[in-house]
Amino acid sequence: VAGEEDFFLEEKRFKQDCEEFIKHSQQIGDGWEWRTSKDFADGYLSKTHFQITSRNVSPDLKEKNNDNIEQTLFMHVEESLDDSQVDGVCAAAEVIRYEYHVLYSSSYQVPVLYFRACFLDGRPLTLDEIWKSVHACYQARLLEGPWDTITQQEHPLLGQPFFVLHPCRTNEFMSSVLTSSRKENRRTNYITSWLSFVGPVVGLNLPLSYA
Amino acid sequence: MTDDKDVLRDVWFGRIPTCFTLYQDEITEREAEPYYLLLPRISYLTLVTDKVKKHFQKVMRQEEVTEIWFEYEGTPLKWHYPIGLLFDLHASNTALPWSITVHFKNFPEKDLLHCHSKDVIEAHFMACIKEADALKHKSQVINEMQKKDHKQLWMGLQNDKFEQFWAINRKLMEYPPEDSGFRYIPFRIYQATTERPFIQKLFRPIAAGGQLHTLGDLLKDVCPSAITPEDGEKKTQVMIHGIEPMLETPIQWLSEHMSYPDNFLHISIIPRPTD
Repeated sequence: VAGEEDFFLEEKRFKQDCEEFIKHSQQIGDGWEWRTSKDFADGYLSKTHFQITSRNVSPDLKEKNNDNIEQTLFMHVEESLDDSQVDGVCAAAEVIRYEYHVLYSSSYQVPVLYFRACFLDGRPLTLDEIWKSVHACYQARLLEGPWDTITQQEHPLLGQPFFVLHPCRTNEFMSSVLTSSRKENRRTNYITSWLSFVGPVVGLNLPLSYA
Repeated sequence: MTDDKDVLRDVWFGRIPTCFTLYQDEITEREAEPYYLLLPRISYLTLVTDKVKKHFQKVMRQEEVTEIWFEYEGTPLKWHYPIGLLFDLHASNTALPWSITVHFKNFPEKDLLHCHSKDVIEAHFMACIKEADALKHKSQVINEMQKKDHKQLWMGLQNDKFEQFWAINRKLMEYPPEDSGFRYIPFRIYQATTERPFIQKLFRPIAAGGQLHTLGDLLKDVCPSAITPEDGEKKTQVMIHGIEPMLETPIQWLSEHMSYPDNFLHISIIPRPTD
């Protein structure tokens, strides 16, 4: 596109922005951490969160995406005196464990979002099941977004199957974000900008305080 | 003197004699005979084993048959790795035929990608080709091609058509006359002993002074333990397509002539047999 330079994220900047991102995450207790491969040669961002999916569980329970989820669930259960009500809540609630990793691709010089989800008994969710858990409005965005859809791929550091949202045209939408912030002499955190765009599509939300 | 093009044919037509045996715990209506097949080194397990699947399905009850998967000596075989790579990495110094066990139950979700159709293999294959071209040409050559050219690469592989494949692939092996080679070399180095499935890094085929980097230079840079002899003896072999190329070989030449159809050099570091 005329006037916009193609911005490629260098690995050094990736690591710096990740470090800054983690610092803020620690301040607000958002749960992101930096992990390294066993040989310490490479690192990536990692976050795990639990989510309750159920029609019978009250809406405010569903919104919780942090460690308090189990506490909250049990509190609700204790409050109801009727045994049948307790059974109802437990049976209806399914807890899913989501795991998100942000890795750097040296081939494309962009970050890549890897994720997987499983039930508490270890059974992994299929792509279909994950798709269904994506909020309806984001399903539309996913279908029209600049990406090649979600596919299953081998995690390049762990060797295990993950789902990958790998937009082939990351540089296109990131260029405009970075060009405009450069014009305004604002330094943007690439990871924050990128993740706030691609994250919600797969159930990952960033609190506004990151900006 | 062997023409370089003969190397392309030798790589394409490499075969591994394989014996497929059904896992003993699979429930069958009668005894399952092993199935013998010559596997193309450059292809993928789930692309070339339709006959294997049919053979074993004949002795099984329909309801027992779910997604097929393969295993060698307890290790699930990743169908998305080329067959030649799997053999070199896991079984190259063992007696032929290669003995693979066939499973229809208990799919190892933590180890293997699903492969529900040929479309999944095609998508994976094309994704590798695109990544290779991102490294070689900043994606310029692959993006300039038409969809039918992409399709021809896949059809050439699927139907074992060397000429059809290379009519298009030769464009992916070219570089501007002012350069001496690709921008970066698409390669992956595998060692069965590491948690990390492979090593992949940016590596230029030409040094700043214009000299051609060699296979030895690549290994020294990204995987020095592979060629540094401990106590004077080389403990490992560096294998591509079942052979050990000389470490002095220019990596640009290797990339042009010994890449797999996905345009990557898949290199195995394996223990040297002691006999």
